[in-house]
Amino acid sequence: MVQAAVTAPRGGVRQHPAVRVLLYALARLAALFAAVVVGVYLTILVANMGGYVDQIKRAEIREQVALAVSLNEQLRRLPADVRERVAEEMVRNEERRLGLDRPFLSRSVAYLRDALLLRLGFAERMTSDTGSRLVRQIILDRLPATLLLFLSAQLLLFFTSVAAALVLSRRYGSLADRLVVALAPTSAAPAWFYGIFLILVFAAGLRWLPFGGMVDAPPPEGKLAYAASVLRHMVLPLSSLALSSIFLSVYAWRTFFLIFSSEDYVELARAKGLPDRLVERRYILRPALPTILTSFALGLIGAWTGAIVLETVFNWPGLGRALYQAVGLYDTPVIVGSTILYAYLLAVTVFALDVVYAVVDPRVRVGAGGQG
Amino acid sequence: MEPLLRVEDLRLYFRTASGLVRAVDGVHLEVGRGRTVAVLGESGCGKTSLARAVLRLLPRNVAHYSGRVVLDGQDLMGLSEEQFRQRVRWARLSFVPQAAMNSLNPVLRIRDQVAEPLWLAGLVRRPEEAQEQVEAALRRVGVPVDFADRYPFELSGGMRQRVAIAMALILRPPLVVLDEPTSALDVLTQANLLNLLKTLRWELGTSFLLITHDVATASELADDVAVMYAGQVVEFGPAERFFRQPLHPYARALRASVVSLREERPPTPLPGRPPSLLSPPEGCRFADRCPERFDPCGQPPPQVSVEGGCVMCWLYAQEASRAR
Repeated sequence: MVQAAVTAPRGGVRQHPAVRVLLYALARLAALFAAVVVGVYLTILVANMGGYVDQIKRAEIREQVALAVSLNEQLRRLPADVRERVAEEMVRNEERRLGLDRPFLSRSVAYLRDALLLRLGFAERMTSDTGSRLVRQIILDRLPATLLLFLSAQLLLFFTSVAAALVLSRRYGSLADRLVVALAPTSAAPAWFYGIFLILVFAAGLRWLPFGGMVDAPPPEGKLAYAASVLRHMVLPLSSLALSSIFLSVYAWRTFFLIFSSEDYVELARAKGLPDRLVERRYILRPALPTILTSFALGLIGAWTGAIVLETVFNWPGLGRALYQAVGLYDTPVIVGSTILYAYLLAVTVFALDVVYAVVDPRVRVGAGGQG
Repeated sequence: MEPLLRVEDLRLYFRTASGLVRAVDGVHLEVGRGRTVAVLGESGCGKTSLARAVLRLLPRNVAHYSGRVVLDGQDLMGLSEEQFRQRVRWARLSFVPQAAMNSLNPVLRIRDQVAEPLWLAGLVRRPEEAQEQVEAALRRVGVPVDFADRYPFELSGGMRQRVAIAMALILRPPLVVLDEPTSALDVLTQANLLNLLKTLRWELGTSFLLITHDVATASELADDVAVMYAGQVVEFGPAERFFRQPLHPYARALRASVVSLREERPPTPLPGRPPSLLSPPEGCRFADRCPERFDPCGQPPPQVSVEGGCVMCWLYAQEASRAR
């Protein structure tokens, strides 16, 4: 009797679980897509300085045309008014070629459509390392270097700090614990700041490691030698990334674990006689898993764009430097291209996290029991 | 006969920003076999800390932990943490936490949490083998068996507390510590749970150490009552005497503060607050609020044996010495 009364509404809610999950997934996807559209459109507006870049480009076109006309022997011989008209014609042609004859707002919508369809187009000024003007090629050429450096940094930092934090949370108040807490403010300085110091000490002073770049010049023959050379070049950038965040990260995770380990069910688990390892695994890490996964996934995405200044300090041929260059050159297609990739990646990750949450945390499951 | 649990001069002090807190300060207590002892007292008198000290669930800021906790003739204080975990925890001494607490792991099914002690104790090799025992345990406390596959957040507070009780009893330990097991629940659920506990005690012969601030709850379950005040047990004895004629002035005040069905008298509240556990008074800790205060109360009161227990008060020391 009691059972029937309690289970009935539950059965009612679960009539079409597949449909409900599908609807939920579609709604989430739509919301994420809307966020991507807004983000990319804002980037287009900002990268074009709200249309001001058009004026810069117009001025540049006029300058180029004037230069071309003045250098052209045939044109120079024409009467002034004819020459003027020819020049005007050239300017108009060039403006039409770049689409500057249409108002910026209508063009921005076209840019948005192209970006969303991943038609990244051609760069306006930049060329890729392999000599292509395709934005896609520019990004793809630079991406592996950035991923290599920042992904390994992220993986290394994440697992080291989580493991260290677990140990510290077990030894709350110990010397190591207090040391980490005291050192946490060292993360206030950015990675490139430590980079400069490390270069000074280990490259300029001791001459143990290279100043920058990704491989020796010329690149060594043979895969093993090549890999060894890349590794040697990675030591300093990795160390500066680690130095700039490890203590804060350990401190944050350790505090997080301390909070989770003061939950009542953790205490009960200890009373139940679970060994510490098991308490940690099932009663601290497991309930905290959604938060840990989020932090991990977002950190991974962060590895995509790299860090502009760090790549510059270490002369690392990554995407961050390409982006920096693009900003300096008003090369909007490159800026928008890397932004759209980043936005899509973020959206996909957030969607994947939604799915993962539902798997690892029963409380998040859609409508389960009516409370989640 | 040797009691099941004997607590002697148990002390548990905490380090805090404002100083040393003497939460449990020399507690003496006995729990007989199959008996239920209620530890009664106001909030902040160290009841929960006493439960922690017995269960050895110590927070990080412990400054001092000493005394004797003798379970079944074995001094538990002599055991290392690992020995205590393997030989005592849950199999001989289990725990039902406060009802308001989220004492169940939110991401594990009820079934797995209830079964956990069974495979820890090596009674089953895999959690799935425990199915029958888990279901029997749930049935015994009145939880529908299909709740076993639910998660804690899908259960009401009363049901969750029943699950906690089922879990505490699954290894049939001789002693269960219940820390305010019903206080956070509504009156009806409270009554149901108290009836359940009464039945279980009768069926299984388990001893309960019941921590509560509620005289009514204690009157339902207790065979013996230990009245706690400012970190000390000021009176210990049969429940029947506590409810009929408490000895210690504080116990009397506590008893008088609740309505009784049998007597025509309004409840009388006790004015004042317990002393701070940071710097308890040197003499009797109740002296400041005591209506019967007299000269010797400035000195620490003696532990006076009375029939079936003891009382910590100068009033009875006088009587004892006069009788001699």
